[in-house]
Amino acid sequence: MSLAIRSTLRLWLLGLAVLLSWPACAQQAKDSRQSSYELMTPEIQAMQANPDSNPAAFWLLDGQALWSEQHGSERKSCASCHGDAAKTMKGVAASFPKLQRGRLTSLEEQVNQCRTTHLELPSVSHESKTSLALTTYIAAQSKGMPIQVEATPAAMTQVETGRLMFEQRMGQLNLSCAQCHDQRAGLKLGGSSIPQAHPTGYPIYRLEWQSMGSLERRLRNCMIGVRAEPFAFDSTEIKQLEAFLMWRARGMLIETPGVRP
Amino acid sequence: MSKTSRSLVTMPSQAKQGDIIDIKVIVQHDMESGFRRDEQGSIIPRDILRGFLCTYNGTEVFRADLHPGTGANPMIVFSTVATETGTFEFTWTGDNDYLAKTTSQLTVT
Repeated sequence: MSLAIRSTLRLWLLGLAVLLSWPACAQQAKDSRQSSYELMTPEIQAMQANPDSNPAAFWLLDGQALWSEQHGSERKSCASCHGDAAKTMKGVAASFPKLQRGRLTSLEEQVNQCRTTHLELPSVSHESKTSLALTTYIAAQSKGMPIQVEATPAAMTQVETGRLMFEQRMGQLNLSCAQCHDQRAGLKLGGSSIPQAHPTGYPIYRLEWQSMGSLERRLRNCMIGVRAEPFAFDSTEIKQLEAFLMWRARGMLIETPGVRP
Repeated sequence: MSKTSRSLVTMPSQAKQGDIIDIKVIVQHDMESGFRRDEQGSIIPRDILRGFLCTYNGTEVFRADLHPGTGANPMIVFSTVATETGTFEFTWTGDNDYLAKTTSQLTVT
């Protein structure tokens, strides 16, 4: 009897020890992923964090104005279908690009599609002020929300194709995205830190561009850097690469509008 | 080209007499330098802000000249002494008859 009690007690103690050591294990397996915000200088971090100094404020204000601007024969605006963006657009940008009727669609394409079909407007180019104002305004509604990628087989096929592109060497410099952003993240390229390349802050205000810019612009920027022919805006390839980057950053928090040097 | 005239002013709304207050202004403007070319190779005409003026109850307290080397969406931070309750007026002037004005109130106790 006493032996049985003792062995039960031992089992309990063992269980307790496992439970107590659990947080330590969990801490070891802490997410090593990091937003490039952490690599920025305190000045640029302050610029992003402070709404009074974040230059994206102008695009946000423009986007807010465009949201309720009426167009077309029916005098419709974004707001007539979607209502208050602060409510209806919450979390929307955290899951783009995504499959819409079997086609991988970027947020920019979605905005254009809405504007051309419902507002009867001509489509706007990817890096136009209108497109950036609206996508910045929409994406900013997801600030603080985790990136979510639907894990359906069809969506994962796109993600896996994107992964191949991420690992594919390209250009005259014969470099892949992964060689810098997976294997050498945290090291320096020239004077700049190599970030892990998580798309948490897009569209971003880049000081070098003196403007907002989309994730696709940033990706094309890197491809030009390795002297590859960049994927065209809204091409299937660039959207698959975006889909992989979103999947790779799943669960990380959206910080749009980001500021980068 | 930026045809809107959005500007943001950050300053305290209240201050004690004699306090030094910090004022931060940021304005939306492309600051097109006139040295860049478009995709067809032709020069993009210059369109920049040329001047910034801040008055405090009508008295000039800060002025700046801007040049083609200034980046887009310029931010200017300066300070002044809170002397009396009143209005700050911020005026931006630039090429192509650009004019943007905003005002802020300061209550001095």
